[in-house]
Amino acid sequence: MLENSVLIVDDEPIVRESIRDWLRDAGYQVATAESGEEALEMIEKEDFSVMVLDIRLPGQTGIAVLKEVKAQRPWIKSIIITAYPSAETTTEAKKLGAIDYLIKPVAPDDLESLIQETLDSVGREPTVITAAEIRAKPPVVEVVEVKKSLVITKDGLKSIVESLVRETEVVGVKSRHGKYVYDRIATWEELCLDYDVTVMPPTKYLLPAKETLLKFKVGDEAQVEPMTEALPRAIIGVHPYDVKAIELLDEAFMATNPDPNYIARRQNTIIIAVDCLNPSPKSFAPSMDTRLTETGFDLLLTDIGDDYMVAVGSEKGAELLAKYAQAREPTGSEIVRQKAARDEALAKYKLSLNVAKERLPKLLEESYDDPYWESRTEACLSCASCVMVCPTCFCFDVHDEVSLSLKEGERSRQWDGCMLVDFAKVATGENFRHDKASRFRHRIFRKGKYIVERYGMVGCVGCGRCATACLADIASPLEAFNALAESAGLKEAATRKAMAVRPDTALYAPRPAELVKVDELTPKEKVFEFRFKDGKALGQRPGQFAEVSVMGIGESPISISSSPTKDGTFQLAIRNVGNVTNALHGLEKGAIVGVRGPFGNGFPLEALEGKDVLLIAGGIGLFPLRSLVQYVLDRRSSFGRAVLLFGARSPAERLFLDELAEWSRNPEIEFHETVDRGDDSWQGNVGVITTLIPKVDIDPRKTMAVVVGPPIMYRFVIGELKKKDIPDENIIMSLERRMKCGVGKCGHCQINGVYVCQEGPVFTLAQLRNLREAV
Amino acid sequence: MKPKVAFFDFTGCEGCQLDALNLDGEQVIDLLNAVDIVNFREVKTERDDDYDIAFIEGSITRESEIQRLQGIRDQAKVVVALGACACIGGINCLKNHVPMEEALRTVYGKDAKYYDTIPARPADAVVTVDYYVRGCPIDTAELLKVVKALLLGKKPDIPSHPVCVECKMAGNVCVFERGMTCLGPVTRAGCNAICVTSGRFCWGCRGLVDDPNIDSEKDILQKYGLTVEQAVERFKIYNTYAEVTK
Repeated sequence: MLENSVLIVDDEPIVRESIRDWLRDAGYQVATAESGEEALEMIEKEDFSVMVLDIRLPGQTGIAVLKEVKAQRPWIKSIIITAYPSAETTTEAKKLGAIDYLIKPVAPDDLESLIQETLDSVGREPTVITAAEIRAKPPVVEVVEVKKSLVITKDGLKSIVESLVRETEVVGVKSRHGKYVYDRIATWEELCLDYDVTVMPPTKYLLPAKETLLKFKVGDEAQVEPMTEALPRAIIGVHPYDVKAIELLDEAFMATNPDPNYIARRQNTIIIAVDCLNPSPKSFAPSMDTRLTETGFDLLLTDIGDDYMVAVGSEKGAELLAKYAQAREPTGSEIVRQKAARDEALAKYKLSLNVAKERLPKLLEESYDDPYWESRTEACLSCASCVMVCPTCFCFDVHDEVSLSLKEGERSRQWDGCMLVDFAKVATGENFRHDKASRFRHRIFRKGKYIVERYGMVGCVGCGRCATACLADIASPLEAFNALAESAGLKEAATRKAMAVRPDTALYAPRPAELVKVDELTPKEKVFEFRFKDGKALGQRPGQFAEVSVMGIGESPISISSSPTKDGTFQLAIRNVGNVTNALHGLEKGAIVGVRGPFGNGFPLEALEGKDVLLIAGGIGLFPLRSLVQYVLDRRSSFGRAVLLFGARSPAERLFLDELAEWSRNPEIEFHETVDRGDDSWQGNVGVITTLIPKVDIDPRKTMAVVVGPPIMYRFVIGELKKKDIPDENIIMSLERRMKCGVGKCGHCQINGVYVCQEGPVFTLAQLRNLREAV
Repeated sequence: MKPKVAFFDFTGCEGCQLDALNLDGEQVIDLLNAVDIVNFREVKTERDDDYDIAFIEGSITRESEIQRLQGIRDQAKVVVALGACACIGGINCLKNHVPMEEALRTVYGKDAKYYDTIPARPADAVVTVDYYVRGCPIDTAELLKVVKALLLGKKPDIPSHPVCVECKMAGNVCVFERGMTCLGPVTRAGCNAICVTSGRFCWGCRGLVDDPNIDSEKDILQKYGLTVEQAVERFKIYNTYAEVTK
């Protein structure tokens, strides 16, 4: 028997699979069964240490299974989970030796710790710690199933809302200044369920305008503590288009690099949705297929006159109905009334997309250079109201704030948006989306193409908020899509569900690293050598970057200058250009900084191996490229010829002088360098870096060129490499962008739909030819 | 060594200096632990002309103020403009719309001959200003933020985007949708949209964003019911010196 083997028995696939995934991630051996019969069959064949058992099962009940298990395999510890607690079953389960009795919805982390406790304490006395709580609950009502449509009275809904208000924070839609807003609800009377659209979307409860990511202490004992808020909250009155927006956020924040702050809020949020029967005149939800939803809510209401139809979307929703309302099956005429109400609402929409939404990515791809972008943006105020009110916008910026004592502080994130002037500006001053038209186009492309392609979900839900908020009256994606409409064909990407996700609690938490050595390269540039306090290696690939924090000042992406073949420490060469780099330049040996990473893809070592490598660095492009030079020299036999070309602006700006001298003597690498402008001391080549390329004998069939330098250099170097007939696939470059978060969330580093921190910063020329914003 | 901080007032109501004092007890202690305040007329009578950081309040409206400000600039390592008058000229610049003789006569009547005046201007029209704490009056929290940044040796994170961003963050119903008009779309944020959140509209006291789209804002003000003259008047209140109304 495996010591950590768990059998989950539940007939609800969502529950079964989500617990399974959670526990597997936690390192358990997990098997599942849909029924009591299946469970008993499995137990006969193999042994388990813990069984998680639902009481209500089709066929044999949980209690029957428990009896059988007690007889056959008395050592298996059982944990009961149920949405329908009763004193009877509790007592029964206790008699049969159940370890604990949890009420659905079960928080996966609670369950996990209970399992661990159970495993840790062999011979633990069976206790039923929740029994007292169970007695306090109302008597069991009829079975409520997920996916079912039922009917509740308005009083029934009132009872649910009032009960929620007593138990948890409740937010809902209220009227304010003739508009509607989400706000805290204290009484049923305040709640408005028949509204057109709210000023701000309910997504603000999942991604607040500002939230703390970390608390830290400044100084030698730099301590970092990740902060998450997990206040249980119910949001009442969410329209289906906003439900769809939340599903997109789930995908963005939970599917990869699971965001601890988002997940803490999301997993503690109950969503009671309501069909929109009086749409905003600016809404075009039907065209975006977000007018109705079958997923993403705990309960979904439709006002059918005296009563509400209610669809049950989750165990949580089922539990709410069971506990607080007398739900009943709908009559035939009620089903007809629901359909009529929805049809009537549909007829009220005035706007529609003149092209199938599935065609949008293709349509936009073909409209990149359309004069439309320029023509619409003259009036743009760059105020970002459009992105601030958008339920599918989630980009953010991160700032450090310290107390007046300067001893401790907080790192927080706050909303940011691609329509703001500085959004794509990097520390060196370059702004990669500096004009209004390119920002406007980026936003529309995100809505119609980039998000669709990245997440497989619609990027605009058609709520119409941006069109309402835009004073210049240019923001509506519908208007842009319709203006650009052409015919094209495309496929819709598949969607995923990402609910029971284990958050990466350390996602934004830097690890302390000690500065063990610092050397000045030039008056503006230094190379820093760090070692993690926990002794672990950074584990980078050449070409990756790290996020470096000076707590209280901020965090910056820095490329890694040393090869992973150098043990124990890692080096970052840094030019002093901004707040963080300036603070780093002031540090002395022994100082502690925070480091996250490594991030990004790095140089494609697999593609380079066995080939001739032509490495070209301009100026501080040598910082990232040095890691590859070291790697190639340390694994020399894995590569063919190795050629390194380096160009600096002047002799005074040459970097890593000792290494340059060593490379020039090393027979393992052919090294050529040049300076743009020489001086009296300089005996070597003078001229820009491109003048070195014709001098090198290159076999284009087996050469991979890796180029790193300032943006201006790429165009000229590529021209020379093409003269040597090197194919686009074999020309590799590393790009600079504002990689603020490093985990594909904050949005600042995007080149078109690509997140440089995820898919970059290393690209082949062939890839970049399809990225219009790249060079 | 704690940095020595001095406050200087030029032409203005001194309300921003008062706001700078609007700290709770603990903050005062923390602040005094962090800096030496050597010159602050609102607080203490002793004066010391050796200082590192100078806060300038008020706009420059007399020849003599030009020399005084230049002297401060020569002494201070860091000069911070405090409040709308010092940052953007502020409401003092309203007098720039009339000849200076007329302005003197209007204010001082028969005693006008004893006074001199020049068109009002912000501090950076006279000397280089390193940092700005904007607003009429300033926000004490923002002043502290700038002080902390200076102590840490970093550039303060002061927003360059318009008030609309903070207004949306505050969850406000747009002023224009409430039947009023607003300079928020072209005014620099950092105030947490305090006026709109309190039921009013933005007057533009923090000055304009970099590269403001004034033409579009004027079109919008007119679309929402202001005449051209009213739109221009709205800009004049705080932003005369920016010359956007010409």
